[in-house]
Amino acid sequence: MLTLSDIDSELDSAREGLFASYGVPRHGFYDEVLDEAGKVRPHWDGLVDWLAEAGDSGYLDTTGDLQRLRTESGIAFAAIGANPESQEDALPVVLKAEDWAKLEAGILQRAHLADAAVTDVYTDQRTIGAGLMPPGLVYGGPAFAAHCAGWQRPPRNWVHLYEADVARTASGEWVLLADRLDAPLGDGWLLANRIATSQAFADPFVDMGVRRLASHYAAFQAHLDQMMGWDGRLALLTAGEKDPRFFSHAYFARYMDAALIEPADLTVRDGSAFVKTLDGLKRVDVLLRGVPDASVDALHRPGKAAFGAPALSLAARSGSLKVVNGIGSAVMAHRALTPYAHRLAQFLMGEDLLLADAPCLWLGGARAREQVLAERGQWRILPLTGDAGGAQEWPHEPDSPAGEEPFADRLARVGERYCAVKTPEFAETAFWNGNGLERAPWMMRVFASRTQDGWSVAPGGVATRMPANGIPPALGFGKDVWVLPEVDRRQTPQISSKLNAQFSSGHLRRTGRDLLSRVADELFWLGRNAERAESVLRVLGVCLARHLDGNRTDSDPEVLCRLIEIHASPDTSLSGLPRYRDAVHRLIRGSEPSSIPSILQTFRSGGLRARASISSESWRYIERLCSDRRWRAQGPFRQNAGLVRLIEDSMQALAAFAGSAQENLTRNYAWRFLEMGRRIERGAQIAATAEALAGPVLASEESHLRAWLTLSDSASAYRSRYMMTARPAAVMDLLVLDETNPRSLAYQLVRLEEVLNDMPTEVRYRRAEHRLALSLLTDLRLMDADVLASESGDERPELMKLVQRCQSDLARISDLIARAFFAHADAPEALVSQGRIEPSEEREP
Amino acid sequence: MKLDVRHRTHYRYANPAAFSQHLLRLTPVSVSGQRVILTNVTIRPEPEAIDVHEDIFGNRIHVATISKPHEELEIVATSRIDRAERNAMIFEASAPWEITRAAALGLEDASPVAEIAPFAFPSAMSAPNSAIEAYADESLVPGRPVLAVAEDLMGRIFRDFKYDTAATGAETLATESFSLKRGVCQDFAHVMLAALRSRRVPARYVSGYLRTIPPEGKERLQGADASHAWVSVWDPAFGWVDFDPTNDLVPGENHVTLACGRDYGDVSPVSGIVVGAGRQLLTVGVDVVAASDAQTGTQLSQSQSQSQSQSQSQTGSLLSSAGPPG
Repeated sequence: MLTLSDIDSELDSAREGLFASYGVPRHGFYDEVLDEAGKVRPHWDGLVDWLAEAGDSGYLDTTGDLQRLRTESGIAFAAIGANPESQEDALPVVLKAEDWAKLEAGILQRAHLADAAVTDVYTDQRTIGAGLMPPGLVYGGPAFAAHCAGWQRPPRNWVHLYEADVARTASGEWVLLADRLDAPLGDGWLLANRIATSQAFADPFVDMGVRRLASHYAAFQAHLDQMMGWDGRLALLTAGEKDPRFFSHAYFARYMDAALIEPADLTVRDGSAFVKTLDGLKRVDVLLRGVPDASVDALHRPGKAAFGAPALSLAARSGSLKVVNGIGSAVMAHRALTPYAHRLAQFLMGEDLLLADAPCLWLGGARAREQVLAERGQWRILPLTGDAGGAQEWPHEPDSPAGEEPFADRLARVGERYCAVKTPEFAETAFWNGNGLERAPWMMRVFASRTQDGWSVAPGGVATRMPANGIPPALGFGKDVWVLPEVDRRQTPQISSKLNAQFSSGHLRRTGRDLLSRVADELFWLGRNAERAESVLRVLGVCLARHLDGNRTDSDPEVLCRLIEIHASPDTSLSGLPRYRDAVHRLIRGSEPSSIPSILQTFRSGGLRARASISSESWRYIERLCSDRRWRAQGPFRQNAGLVRLIEDSMQALAAFAGSAQENLTRNYAWRFLEMGRRIERGAQIAATAEALAGPVLASEESHLRAWLTLSDSASAYRSRYMMTARPAAVMDLLVLDETNPRSLAYQLVRLEEVLNDMPTEVRYRRAEHRLALSLLTDLRLMDADVLASESGDERPELMKLVQRCQSDLARISDLIARAFFAHADAPEALVSQGRIEPSEEREP
Repeated sequence: MKLDVRHRTHYRYANPAAFSQHLLRLTPVSVSGQRVILTNVTIRPEPEAIDVHEDIFGNRIHVATISKPHEELEIVATSRIDRAERNAMIFEASAPWEITRAAALGLEDASPVAEIAPFAFPSAMSAPNSAIEAYADESLVPGRPVLAVAEDLMGRIFRDFKYDTAATGAETLATESFSLKRGVCQDFAHVMLAALRSRRVPARYVSGYLRTIPPEGKERLQGADASHAWVSVWDPAFGWVDFDPTNDLVPGENHVTLACGRDYGDVSPVSGIVVGAGRQLLTVGVDVVAASDAQTGTQLSQSQSQSQSQSQSQTGSLLSSAGPPG
């Protein structure tokens, strides 16, 4: 029988096993987990016990769960290019209350200082005037936003969100590595990371009473609410899916119940900022700015702010829009505060700094430059304000490659834009190496935000291994940082996690006429691309089946070519089977617009941009379809069962997407745009197919008609209705005129007209696109199947006339819809600059 | 001398523009040696909103927003200015250039002078290279009075550079025109700024107008006067002193100051964004006439027929220029 002491000793030996390859802490290196004597520090007991109990396999299960959770939130929010499924080790870092309290106090002070310093630079400039900060630190690089300085009624604060890279030195002291002030908004990573980790490591997380993040963000929300007023609108501005921080933007926007917008959605009128929605312009009161300073306000930064949001600073200047963080914050970002932080803290706050900086020299002065040049190799040269300074990080080895300016020359020329940093030795923490724990240096990102009466630091952080080069890696998923409560104050958090409430309510907010014009545009094209993909897949499927089947008429190369060339551009230099094979290859592997890979690429990025308006489930089907590796494979295409299966899988995913969009989207504007896109594209595809397969009177007509029926998924409907081989008039009745067949041309027009009828109009008359659809539908309704099938010479003129008109009218309807509803979404262009005109004469004497 | 200035900018768009926003720096302000008697900007079509504010350099900015479809846009700025003759100044009496540098950088316990600090550092268009630095050092003799340095540099640029309207454009950088040794007023101003700032001597870019006097017996051509640019250098006693390297002279009563900044990017007279316009056709004309020999107000406002005409296709790149400056 197992006794309690047996269990204890078993656990003890399992605990020892964990540290088998960990070793004792190196002398002089603070170790988060073990003390100098090699004993587990008490605040790690909970996690270490859990690890010992779980064992290798338990830990693997947990990280498997975690990976799945990360992937899921990644699918829900991620962007191309971002890598939410980071393989970063998931073992949390545990901090005891006293350690955290020290760091927290230091970060609070730094956040306060950052705001005071930036605000001073753009208002009174007391710090420069008093000689506390050399002017070159501010004016030496392009980060200073001149158009945001000297306002009559400046905002009280520039900085509302503060992020910092921090680490612990080998001696166990906290040290600041960088301030992130310009478009921080990495909070989405912190939250997503915490949610995944707390679910995967649920037992130790709950047992140890880890401090929650919810009350921190509730306080920030309260601050934002106060800034917004009772009916204000909150938006988060992102540069879009290509931004490495897009995941965090999308996640945080959902969490904070903010509309996720891009610069093109914004316009500034009469000193206020508005988003463009289907229902016109809606005022934005508070903007969480995820786009760097240098890339907003095309009006005041011509040539640089290609992203746009022209005149954004005017809305801030008038006081109507509050920008978080204020435009211009970049000037003090990254390392710019460091060299003078101590003096500034004393001057602006009357306090001494609590938190040390990693050694940092500003290279605006000759003495500092000389020192750094003399001590080459010990220093790393960085752009002072990070990315915002327009300066490149200097190579670690200062001997520059041939062709570049000599290092010393460059530093002498624009030294103000650079700083030199020394990477200290860092404390170490435990990483899981597959079968136990190992030690490595670490750093973390921490997050602070303004509250109604000061600042608050989120209790936690995103930690990661410190690379050997001392350069903190980009933010992503990482090790969660667990802060333990003070021993006597362990209690259940007073504010329950706000996540569920937010996630369920946030989704419904942006429905209705509030839909962003840009998103309406994306949804429309999402519908069109889904249909386009389906149409190409169907043609490929029918061709492959016929080719495999080997029936002489059906697999005749000429028939196959005619089929495949509904989508593939015909290559008249080839003929017969090679021509067919080449066309198939181009559709499957090629890069032409009608090829599957290009359609899927467009489809996915459209889905991503419209992500906020479609359900998670719909997005998941898009993701499943578009990230299918088989479509991305290279090399020659082999006609085999694998390809047939791939086509079937893809068709299924598309059907699932269509179904989920149909089922899960309420019949709001989002759905309507998706539906219109879908109906227009399907109508156009049917018309094109009819033109190719039935327009000319072909020798193997019956085979072509059957192909058309199969393409339209209507072969069985035809058989059950007519019980006979395919005849032109009957096929046309079913596929063109029958309003009850969801695959008929008439059906598409009926549905399109219905939706158009529901669209908003300012006048009493039907809109132009609606009238056109109505006229097309009416003419179709008056058509007779026998007339359509009638032949004249070697073609069917009535059918040709009809399907060609359908194609051009549908294209026109699509244009009209775009003009009526998406016109706002046009990108602004720069006005041609007049420069200065030259005098008519040569220069004056 | 009283001068009347009329600056007309006209855009014609290939397609009706759905929306446009314009940032205008067309309103002169009173500065030392210049008094603004009256000034006015009219825009057609009538903007829905005009925001007026002053930037940190003291320039008057108009931001106009037009959100009805429009196929053309006309901006006419008229001003009546009273310009003083240039003061007699003894440049040798100014402070050594090292002193102005120290004041701009806050060096050696000199307390920084807020208004000059932004102008002491290389800017985007006035960044130097080693060739410009070497060129600058020939004038920046240790201990030399700063205005004497500026005068010397101005004269050297005037002699060493060839006036050539075809060599450069509105976005040409100082390093480019320096290696060509060619350019127009904007380029010469940028080169002079690059040279002075390479050693952190505070200097600023000035945009404005220059009255041209027709040759004896000829009529003054309408619209033929120039937008112009020059440089202003700071001295603790004299304040900002203008130097015109295009003409090797210190601006006086024939120059009109419009705006100043760190380089052309801070002062461009008309910039902005437009939605849906397609190709843009730009026409600009400037008239500067002495108010005493001026036409009546009506005539002034009609003097647009022979405006110089320039066109430019717009292909989505930001800030292309209609032509090199004077």
